[in-house]
Parts: sequence; structure tokens; C-alpha cells
Amino acid sequence: MTAQNTPLSDERVLAELRKVNDPDLQKDIVTLGFVRNLSIDGGAVRFDINLTTPACPVKDQMRDEAERLVEAIPGVATVSVNMTAEVQSSPQMAKGALENVRNVIAVGSGKGGVGKSTIAVNLAAALSGSGARVGLLDGDIYGPSLPIMLGVTAAPDHADGKITPRESAGLRFMSMGLLVKTPDQPLIWRGPMAHKAFQQCLFDVAWGELDYLVVDLPPGTGDVHLTLAQSVPMTGAVIVSTPQDVGLQISVKTLRMFEQTKVPILGIIENMAYYICGHCGAKDPIFGEGGARRAASEMGIPFLGEVPLDMAIRSQADLGTPIVVADPEAASSVVLRQISEQLAAQVSIRNYNAPVLEIE
Amino acid sequence: MASAPGATDPARIKKISNQELMIVWQDGHQSRYRGPVLRGQCPCATCQDEDTGQRLILPIHVPDDLEFRRIEMVGRYALQFEWSDGHRTGIYSFELLRRLCPCAGCRAGASVRT
Ligand SMILES: Nc1ncnc2c1ncn2[C@@H]1O[C@H](COP(=O)(O)OP(=O)(O)OP(=O)(O)O)[C@@H](O)[C@H]1O
Ligand SMILES: [Mg+2]
Ligand SMILES: [Zn+2]
Ligand SMILES: [Zn+2]
Repeated sequence: MTAQNTPLSDERVLAELRKVNDPDLQKDIVTLGFVRNLSIDGGAVRFDINLTTPACPVKDQMRDEAERLVEAIPGVATVSVNMTAEVQSSPQMAKGALENVRNVIAVGSGKGGVGKSTIAVNLAAALSGSGARVGLLDGDIYGPSLPIMLGVTAAPDHADGKITPRESAGLRFMSMGLLVKTPDQPLIWRGPMAHKAFQQCLFDVAWGELDYLVVDLPPGTGDVHLTLAQSVPMTGAVIVSTPQDVGLQISVKTLRMFEQTKVPILGIIENMAYYICGHCGAKDPIFGEGGARRAASEMGIPFLGEVPLDMAIRSQADLGTPIVVADPEAASSVVLRQISEQLAAQVSIRNYNAPVLEIE
Repeated sequence: MASAPGATDPARIKKISNQELMIVWQDGHQSRYRGPVLRGQCPCATCQDEDTGQRLILPIHVPDDLEFRRIEMVGRYALQFEWSDGHRTGIYSFELLRRLCPCAGCRAGASVRT
């Protein structure tokens, strides 16, 4: 070992850090430009690792590996790693009407009632819990359900001609249900009115700076999706399915719709995939296992995870606080948080690889 | 309609002049469009019957000196043109634009298919 005599240098430390890979972006953290503010003071080494999302699924693993490698350099006494994150913008977003929103993510499904809204609320709240700035838009202008799920139904304030989004569970959210006092029947919008109503919820809101704006779509393939796809260059969409939509057949139409509008599919989530016994906590795959996972891999779409059928998920939604906030240590919350991290990773991958397209 | 990967994804979009647009596709193919011809192929409901697909405006109806006034991206999947005649309701998906490629190779292929 000749290294003992070499004085500790930035190059020496960076050479070790080049061995740490970001498994999602498949490059080392030095090449990716994640290492910032490196300082060496005697044997004390400090640096930041600036990731592309605070919800990075392998954040701790990367920090530990970096720490371990640098600690092993002769002459190093202490290592202090500061984890930071800066969510990248989807390339086309910065120029559009929602320039302060970095990513728009739609949550859709083929069938109704599969748990889109429940999943959307929990994923958004989990992303916010990781430290990201998150908005949630209720795209279901026909039967808005987010005000109930977030426990806020009062009409929003206005300032400077814009709607101030309501806040709950760490989210800024907007819903037609806040503007129109909804009777029990679905709202009916005629033709272009649906388009206008949805655009108002999207554009007339003072969202502020957002890393992620999650949009909960109404069931099926309709006007709202098309309006959204025409209004903003979405980062991508998440499909929620249940074990009953055999082999995802029901969602194929939805997939096709996203494909036609060139909205990338960020992944599939299987909801109500298994049952957790309320008494003993055992997992019971009531509907058979792995259907959506298999279908996703056949279609070459990332599989983000499985959410159990869990009465606590429903009762928290009914009480107005998503389970990931109300009971963060519950088994279902852990799963939902992991899925939100997988989603954040897919967003980072998309943005990293996405070509910038402009009209020259 | 299966097509090569990237065939309907643009790699570059360039306005060559007020009358000419170029798209280089991710599969390497290059398309050059004449504005007035594109105007005559507008897919909007006033230019083409939504139910029957019958064209109400044809390229021959469009003056030769028609120009692009503005070209904008629509989400990630289409272009919208505003023309010097004020028309601006057509949303041309990249899928449609690739089908409309006027190059000899594509025209020959198109006549076989239809
Ligand atoms: N994993 C789960 N475990 C238990 N209950 C769930 C789960 N996911 C959703 N639910 C319940 O199922 C019902 C339907 O869920 P949700 O409203 O989220 O579905 P949706 O797909 O948004 O419906 P719609 O198509 O009407 O918008 C709700 O009562 C919800 O609380
Ligand atoms: Mg819903
Ligand atoms: Zn037209
Ligand atoms: Zn051609």
C-alpha cells in the first residue's frame, strides 16, 4: 500500500466515491454530479450527496456505502455525509403554464372503484413525508372524493385572481368538490364544460413550487385524461389495478389511451392484492398471487408494488387522514411508502433519460 | 398499427421557414412538410367530419402562400399550428404527422397500405 504516504486529496476521496452507483440511473454518484461541497480538514471529510428525490429508495444504502468507502481511506478520521435532494423537472414542463411544477403524475385505471383515489392520496402524502413538495389534484370532476379523504371540504380562498389550494396531510390539494357543493349524485358537465372545469382546477390554482403534482383521474378513458394530456407534458402515469381485472385486460384500453397521447407509464400498482388478517397479521393472497406483476413484466412496464386489502386503509380514508400519516408504522403504510419511493425512482429515471425537445 | 420503435417519436422539430417544417424521428427518418399542404390535412372537426372522416377542407382549398404563424407542442404527443388564415384548432398527433410524411418512400408505402 503506497496510499499511506499520499496526502488526502479531493481526487482520492472522489476516486472512492466513484465506486458508489445509483442503481436507478446506473451511473456512479460522481459522474452524476451528486457529490457536492466536498471539504477536507485534516482527517475530517465532509460532503453532500444530492439525490434526484428525497424519496429515494436506496438513500440509506448509498450513504452507508459512501461513508464506509471514504472511512477506509488511510488518513481519514471522520466522515460526515449530508444527504440532500433536488427533484428534476420533466424537460418540457419548465416552459409551460405550470412552470413551477416539476412533474405531473397521473393516477389512472380502467375500472372504477379499484382504489385510485385512495392510492393517489397515500402516495402523495408519503412523497410529502419524505420531504418533497407535493400537490394533489382531484381530476374526478364528476364525483370528487378527495375532500372527504383529506378531511377538508370548506371552499378555498382566493388571492390575486388565483385559488389558494387547501392543505392537509402535508399536501396542497384542489378538488371540484371544494368549489361545488356536491349533492350525492355525480356532477354533470356538458361537452366543453368538463374541459373548462378541469382546466380551472389545474391552471387557476396558486400551486407554488411543487416537485410532484399527483392527479387522481376519474375511472375509464375520458375527457379529463385528454384535457390533461393536452394541457401539460406529463412526466407519466401510474396504473392501479386489482387482482380481479384478469391479466390487466381491463386496463389495456387505459394503457392504449396513454400510449396515444405519449404519456409514459411509470408503473403498475396492484391494489387489494392480498389480505392482512386483522387478528394475527398473517398475509392471505385471497385472489391468487402475482397477476399484475406478471402482466407488467410481459408488457415491459415497471411493477411498483402490491397494496393489501386492509380495513384500516379504508377507515382512515373515511376519517379524512390517509393511513401513511395517521399510522405511519402500520404494515400497509410501510408498503405504500415503499411504492411511493419506487414511483419517485421511476420519475427520476424518466427525467434523466428524457430528451429535451423544442421547436427549433 | 405496429410501427418501428421511435417511428412516431420526434427527435428534432425544426421550423425551416414560414412555410416549411422538418421533423427528424427517433428511428432516423426525416420528414419535410409544406405548411399549406398540412393545413389542407387539418384533422379538426371543422376541416374533417368527425363521424365519417370525410374531408371538408382539402389541400386544393388552401392558398399557396399560407404561412405558419405559430407552432406549439401539445402535451407530449402532438403539434398545434396557428396559420396565417387564423385557423388554429387542429391538433396533429405525432402518429398522424408520421403518416402524413410526404417523402416518396412513405407515399409509396402508404399507397400499398390503403
Ligand atoms: N387497499 C384497500 N383496502 C381496503 N379498502 C380499500 C383499499 N383501497 C381502496 N379501498 C376502499 O375501496 C373504495 C374505493 O376506493 P377509491 O374511492 O379509492 O377507488 P377509486 O378507484 O378512486 O374509485 P372511482 O373509480 O369511483 O374514482 C373506498 O371505500 C376505499 O376506502
Ligand atoms: Mg376516485
Ligand atoms: Zn382544421
Ligand atoms: Zn417519409
